[in-house]
Amino acid sequence: MTQLAQNLLLGLLLGGVYALAAGGLTLIFGVMRVINIAQGAFLIFAAFITYSVWQVLGIDPLLAIVITTPVIFSIGWVTYKGIVAPIRTAPIASTVLLTFGLALVLEAVMGMVWGNNSTAIRPGYGNESFTFAGLYLPKAQVYGGLVAILVLVTLGLMLTKTWLGRAIRAAAANPAGAELVGIKVAAVAALVFALGIAAAGAGGAIVGVLYPFVPGAHYQWIARLLAIVVLGGMGSLNGAILGALMFGVAETLTAAYIAPSWATAVPYAIVFLVLLIRPQGLLGSRLREDAVAA
Amino acid sequence: MRKSTRAFSRRPSWSRVLVAIAAVLLLTFPLISDDAYYQNMIILSLVFAVGASGLNIITGFAGYVSLGQGAFIGLGGYTVGVLATRFESVSPWLWVPVAGLVTAAVAIGLGLVSLRSRGPSFVIITVAFLFLVQVIAVNWVAVTNGTAGLTLPLPSWDSDVINWPFYYALVAILAVQLLMTWWIRRTKLGMGLIAIREDETKAATIGINLPVQKIIGFTASTVFVGMAGGVYGYYLTFIDPRGMFSILISVQIILSLLIGGKATLWGPVLGAFLIEPLNEIANNSLGGGNMRLLLFGGLLVLVVIFLPQGILPTIETLLYRRRTAGKAGLVGARIGSGGSLKSWADRVEPAEREASGRALLEVAGLTKHFGGIKAVDDCSLAVADGSITGLIGPNGSGKTTVFNLIDNTVRPDAGEITFDGERIERLTSWDRAHRGIGRTFQTTRLFGEMTVLENVVAAQRSFSWSQLGRIAVSGREAKAAEELLEFVGMRAYRDQKAHALSYGQQKLVELAQILMLDPKLILLDEPAGGINPVLIERMAEMFKELNSYGKTLLIVEHNMPFVLDLCDPIHVLARGTRMASGTPAQIQADPAVIEAYLGEDFQFEPEGVR
Repeated sequence: MTQLAQNLLLGLLLGGVYALAAGGLTLIFGVMRVINIAQGAFLIFAAFITYSVWQVLGIDPLLAIVITTPVIFSIGWVTYKGIVAPIRTAPIASTVLLTFGLALVLEAVMGMVWGNNSTAIRPGYGNESFTFAGLYLPKAQVYGGLVAILVLVTLGLMLTKTWLGRAIRAAAANPAGAELVGIKVAAVAALVFALGIAAAGAGGAIVGVLYPFVPGAHYQWIARLLAIVVLGGMGSLNGAILGALMFGVAETLTAAYIAPSWATAVPYAIVFLVLLIRPQGLLGSRLREDAVAA
Repeated sequence: MRKSTRAFSRRPSWSRVLVAIAAVLLLTFPLISDDAYYQNMIILSLVFAVGASGLNIITGFAGYVSLGQGAFIGLGGYTVGVLATRFESVSPWLWVPVAGLVTAAVAIGLGLVSLRSRGPSFVIITVAFLFLVQVIAVNWVAVTNGTAGLTLPLPSWDSDVINWPFYYALVAILAVQLLMTWWIRRTKLGMGLIAIREDETKAATIGINLPVQKIIGFTASTVFVGMAGGVYGYYLTFIDPRGMFSILISVQIILSLLIGGKATLWGPVLGAFLIEPLNEIANNSLGGGNMRLLLFGGLLVLVVIFLPQGILPTIETLLYRRRTAGKAGLVGARIGSGGSLKSWADRVEPAEREASGRALLEVAGLTKHFGGIKAVDDCSLAVADGSITGLIGPNGSGKTTVFNLIDNTVRPDAGEITFDGERIERLTSWDRAHRGIGRTFQTTRLFGEMTVLENVVAAQRSFSWSQLGRIAVSGREAKAAEELLEFVGMRAYRDQKAHALSYGQQKLVELAQILMLDPKLILLDEPAGGINPVLIERMAEMFKELNSYGKTLLIVEHNMPFVLDLCDPIHVLARGTRMASGTPAQIQADPAVIEAYLGEDFQFEPEGVR
């Protein structure tokens, strides 16, 4: 029983990290109808930057988020302006392929800069654990999960409580209408893209502390993040969070009770099953284009 | 007049010569040269050509991008690998067709999960699928031998011609794949797939069963790829999950398709034979690994931004411009005077102009809210069989939404729709089309990249498996479509792309398109809006003629003389519900209608329309 509680708790903490990265992905999709296949690559990229900051400056990797996130945000903004903006109105198929190409380029760059060997960030508390009511919780996971939740809550508050958040939601719901009431949709889109990637960046910094990583790991990450987003319903932030928590728990339980090697496969099976029963995802509404032109 | 057919099947003769030369070179290469390096390069190019040509069906035609195409090559390779190591006495060649069947079965399963709904979940599922099969190949050790991989039996034939069977088997598979692509492009299935790419909602309203067509398209795009994968696995003699399910295989397939040209017959083949040598150079001269990634990734980004059409369509556009330079386009030509529906006379009893009184369509309590806006609010109305019924009302009164609810472009929140004695509010758009509802859109929604003829033959008046395989661009289907185009006066434009037509011309083609459904009820959303008076007059004549063949018409229109001359009875909508009904005279005299819609100074002059 204690064992189960511990696994559930660890799964939820892991889910918090997933939620951060998947939230960024679903935010970008919700506002811009762009499926950012490079989201996983940016996540690993952030892990490498965190690694360098930790190595060179000796700052705690989780605190280093304060440095890495703005850096990743800027990179996201430049990426958007440079290569996504020119084909922003193209069909989803084009942007999928574009960001897919971007992911490969990022992977190559990471391989050239940091090498293709497994890299790990090990802060002092890397091997320590909290013991609480018989539960055994690695400190890195607890800290990582808490930081993820903190960033996620900040993001959520920003989206719901600020003018910028309202502008973003308006641009997502009705771009033409938003433009009419004075929101520069193009500027909002750049901001959202950068913000979504920064969320993945924050997630990547935490992931770097939890697991060793290689440039090629971004494939597994994007597959996982996409599965989460589909599970929760495309474009729904709450759906992504719910999907991420379920995914984290499912992976942890599979690793603990079935076999660690199958841990990556079982959640996909769940996604296939959910889609078979509910194609629009858990919290998604059916994407129905409205034929009313005027 | 010279036909400027740019259809898929008829290409300029010089390009046929090029294809013939390439085919001869390909067939004789192993006889001329025994250079293993180039033979290997061509064999790999052939595998990717089959992969890209397959992908073309679901991505090029239907517009659904799959990033998991490489997984089907791996699946084919593993099918042959697993079976060949189990049954050592049997030739591995026997398992190649089995590999095709296995991939087809997997594609059907994957299609059922991801293609029943529309939109982006398909591309996402294909990514997840690619990793799922890799994880399974790694972990299901009992069958796949895990990461250690499988070693297939070595080929038993003479080592001098060791590559020949693989080489020619792949050439044969590519030939069959291309034949299938060519055939699909000419059938109702192909029309349906392209229609789905162009406008999925509209495709459903002309009777195209979306999930079935997409799943068939997806399956067709994998079956020969699985077979090629099987041959590829046997050729390699050693397969492991890392190599067979590498995402770079998918990347290379996609790049081949994009660079060569989507939705073309030869583009994917051209692309594959361009990219594979590049791949070899990246591996051998640039050190492979990261450089190869950089090359592929960078190329993908550049192609999407700068060469979205691909090589072949770009060349074709340039040639077309050169060929037609200085010549007057057909688009400005006069619309034909219209033909009669000769073959219809035998099919349909000319009905009496007087409506029988039986309701063909009845809606009751129909309600649709968009957020706080009650677009349609408890609306009830009936359309008598054989009538030309008008539906008028102020802008925003819910007329178009009523149409959308009738053909299921939008789902109602509440209410009943009865058509021809059957409740239809739970049926899909294509089921409603098959039962006899045809609908035109206020702003025309033709499939822009298809020709006028293709637009019309894309309509499916019923669903049958054999119909999907029927050739659409010539023969019986095309003949029926041409008669309808003649009727609306657009036959001269049959080979023009729909997006090149003027607005009024598009309205006429859209009418011909839905007439292809042989509908009992024709819903017309502002047929006279935005077109010239002569054409309006011609429209009115056509509607009367259609009505004389027993067709029931429901017309939304703001052109009052047109409506009052043509329609009887007329329903008036206001604030999402029916506020009045009656003959044209009653409607004009109704103070409520004048107040809500017509205005105090409205005066109908019958001379406005003869």
